[in-house]
Amino acid sequence: MKKIASILTITIFLGSFISCSSDNDETDTEKPTISVNYNEGFPKSCTVLKKGSQYTIRVKTSDNVALASYAIDIHHNFDHHTHDDQGSQCVLGAIKTPETPMIFMESYPINGDTQQFEIKQTIAIPDHIDSGDYHCQISVIDATGWQSRTSIDIKIE
Amino acid sequence: MYRNITIPFLLLCSVLFCQETYNIKIKVIDKYSSLPVSEAHVTIGNQQAVTNSEGDFYFDNIKAQKHRLTITHVGYQTYTTEIIIPTSVADFIYLEPKESLLDEVVISGDNDKKLLQKKSLSTLQVEKEFLEENRENSLMQTLKKIPGVSAISIGSGQSKPVIRGLGFNRVVVVENGIKHEAQQWATDHGLEIDQYNVEQIEITKGAASLLYGSDAIAGVIAITPGKLPAKNTLTGEAHLTTRSNNDLIGASVGIKKRYTNWYYKARLSHQNYGDYRVPTDKIYYENYVFDLHKNYLRNTAGFNYDISSSIGYISDNFHTETTFSNVYAKNGFFANAHGLEVRTSRIDYDASNRDIDLPYHKVNHFKVINNSKITLPNHTLTIDAGYQNNHREEHSEAVPHGYMPTPESSQERLFVKNTYSLNVQDQTYAISGHKIKTGINLEYQNNTIGGWGFLIPEYNRFTAGLFLYDQYEIHKNLYVEGGLRYDYGIVNTKPYYEWFDSPVTDSNGVVTQQRLQRASDENLKFGSYSASLGISYLQKKTSYKLNIGKSFRIPLASELASDGVNYHMYRYEEGSINLKSENSYQIDGEINFSSKNLDILINPFVNYFDNYIYLNPIPEYYETLQRYKYTQSEVFRYGSELMITYKVNTNFSVSGALEYVKSKQLSGSKKNFTIPFSPPLSAIFSAKYNIKSQSFFRDTQLFADLRMTAKQNDIVPPERPTDGYSLLHLGAQTQIPLISEKHPLKIQCKLNNIFDNKVYDHTSFYRLIQVPEPGRNISISITQKF
Repeated sequence: MKKIASILTITIFLGSFISCSSDNDETDTEKPTISVNYNEGFPKSCTVLKKGSQYTIRVKTSDNVALASYAIDIHHNFDHHTHDDQGSQCVLGAIKTPETPMIFMESYPINGDTQQFEIKQTIAIPDHIDSGDYHCQISVIDATGWQSRTSIDIKIE
Repeated sequence: MYRNITIPFLLLCSVLFCQETYNIKIKVIDKYSSLPVSEAHVTIGNQQAVTNSEGDFYFDNIKAQKHRLTITHVGYQTYTTEIIIPTSVADFIYLEPKESLLDEVVISGDNDKKLLQKKSLSTLQVEKEFLEENRENSLMQTLKKIPGVSAISIGSGQSKPVIRGLGFNRVVVVENGIKHEAQQWATDHGLEIDQYNVEQIEITKGAASLLYGSDAIAGVIAITPGKLPAKNTLTGEAHLTTRSNNDLIGASVGIKKRYTNWYYKARLSHQNYGDYRVPTDKIYYENYVFDLHKNYLRNTAGFNYDISSSIGYISDNFHTETTFSNVYAKNGFFANAHGLEVRTSRIDYDASNRDIDLPYHKVNHFKVINNSKITLPNHTLTIDAGYQNNHREEHSEAVPHGYMPTPESSQERLFVKNTYSLNVQDQTYAISGHKIKTGINLEYQNNTIGGWGFLIPEYNRFTAGLFLYDQYEIHKNLYVEGGLRYDYGIVNTKPYYEWFDSPVTDSNGVVTQQRLQRASDENLKFGSYSASLGISYLQKKTSYKLNIGKSFRIPLASELASDGVNYHMYRYEEGSINLKSENSYQIDGEINFSSKNLDILINPFVNYFDNYIYLNPIPEYYETLQRYKYTQSEVFRYGSELMITYKVNTNFSVSGALEYVKSKQLSGSKKNFTIPFSPPLSAIFSAKYNIKSQSFFRDTQLFADLRMTAKQNDIVPPERPTDGYSLLHLGAQTQIPLISEKHPLKIQCKLNNIFDNKVYDHTSFYRLIQVPEPGRNISISITQKF
């Protein structure tokens, strides 16, 4: 029984070691937020953009520590390969083969110790691109490396 | 009494009037099990030998006089006797196992014969009975019940090993002495090994690099050849299994035939399963909602065909076996989110739960291995040689991405890897009290790639290692072991250019279309030492072990030179060509108490990495995908496993097992975070009840397992915290002498997750897309031996 007692003592000792050493160094485990669901938010689901026009993408982002960068990706959805996360169902055009689809892929830094940030990015829709269904994905990363995304079905005509 | 005396030799000697000498052969047998005892150390006068796998030892040219014969073995009481050559020598010597079971401790709570060997590093021996009783869809899921061992799974049929929270290349899987080489770095596929063909596994937790090569930082899962059948016998078994959750059917047939010296073994296995069911009809991932048809996780069906055969020859001092095996598996990936990217498709996935549509992967793993053992006086020489070919393809619907137009085929990735291995090891007993092993390991890998998605480059890799290891018996219950190893490696990566044009803006603002270079020709050299020193102190009922070790790992080609979109994870992965070898320093301890009714085992460890390599998500983009870069940081880890087994009476036993590991990064941009895939605190409580044999039902057993897992809040991006859970499994097995009295039919029935709880496994690949673990499952299996 002595042996069992000594083993139990060691177990308790180890157990306390484990519980005592839980660290106080806080880590950032929160993702940033991203939303177009406010009055000025743009584009909303099923928005039709005109070729040759300029638009300002407006998306609200926030983070508990600091935002670091954001990205805008516009690519065609002629093959219906994906859909948006806005809960709405836009009526998609017929499936077709792309010829000269618009490809927009840009990322931008968010400088300083910014916790609230509204993306206001002006983009020009070129004239000579394929019309049809497009997909607009906006994403944001905070200083820790957490990413949040939102994606919206749009049309270009 | 027959004595193995070489008569011609004797006659020759008599004629020459020299002093008579004799050759002797004696078999060493376990007193209780009557099984041969291999690796026993035998001394006659100043000559030494070791028993072979048949328990035999041989001495040549023993003088006709009185000798002292001593047989020692860690698991047995030392046997000493006086022999007089040639008159009083027994053919068989029976050894009495040590009362405290020094070599092997049966953890009898599960009655599953998990055996522990007393080396200074904690080693567990897993027997076939345990594997049969706990059989899940894949080998690693079967082994998950062992504290300290977990699995990174994708779907229901694929999983890879994790020991104490470390996985991928840090765990070495060895089959028949040769390191299994596939695409271990990837999260999205499993181990290409036929689980029905596994009879015995040795699991070492802790830095086992010394004997197994530099990658074994976290431990080793060594699949060892099964026991040899007796001379002139033919044995075999047929096995059928079915599982309700994924409508699995599995069959495996194996035979073993042995003549006197020659023998062969063969096995065929097949598993075919449908989509698995989860206890939910909706999956919420980010802002998406996926509706599941009848709770089926769309397109997770699969199958595998495995074949293996070996031929061997065993004689007094030579044993050789050559094994050919081929594993072919194909399985689908969840269709709504191919990894993290949300997909829609025109494929009618719900038409059948058994078809495998895009996206899917298939893999073929072919192996030829030769194991040879030569027993010489005072030496045992082991040579293991192997060739492996791993051919893996991933297919998905061709979708344009960024500047990449729609590809023409569905083949997204192709990896073909050839690995040639040679291990030579010598074990010598020439110095009394010492068991010295020296060896050399050579390995050459050649990896080629294909498909439209680029992630890792083609490469060649050559590694060579040299080691010296000694186990020294200071006192009959105090052992010291230690060793030193040096490894040298060369990694040569090949250049890669994309197959499509991307616009590139130069410093003058001029845009040109270019084929971007993703990998370059690099020749990288690595070399480092591993060392280990341990002590084991054995008492009648208690034993103590302490081991300190330094191990290292050469960075993988994926860690050095990845540069591309991982569509599974929808992220951009980048290697770092200037990564250093990963160094790990570890202290392992073990306290074992073992009495008639109670067994307690505690395995604490502390571990420090000065430059742990992991894929770190950084706050930057590449073409609007988040960049993940292979980074090195200091990591401190500690933890422990605890196992308690109590035999209430001869028919009823209970056991509890606990595992805990805590990891913390001490430097770098993720300072204070844990490392990826950290398993949560978890416990398994088991109970087992044996019912006395009735006329028709024999060895009936009822068993229950309760797995309780704590919440995992210790995460690193992009992981999410995972809630705790408990799952209850019940099972029963019995044997019915239906066809044969000698080999009754074994029937097993198991009920997993009986309450159909919706739980998430923190280390499952699908956890990232909020897919719960499989729901309730009934499995029935029958085994007939002959």
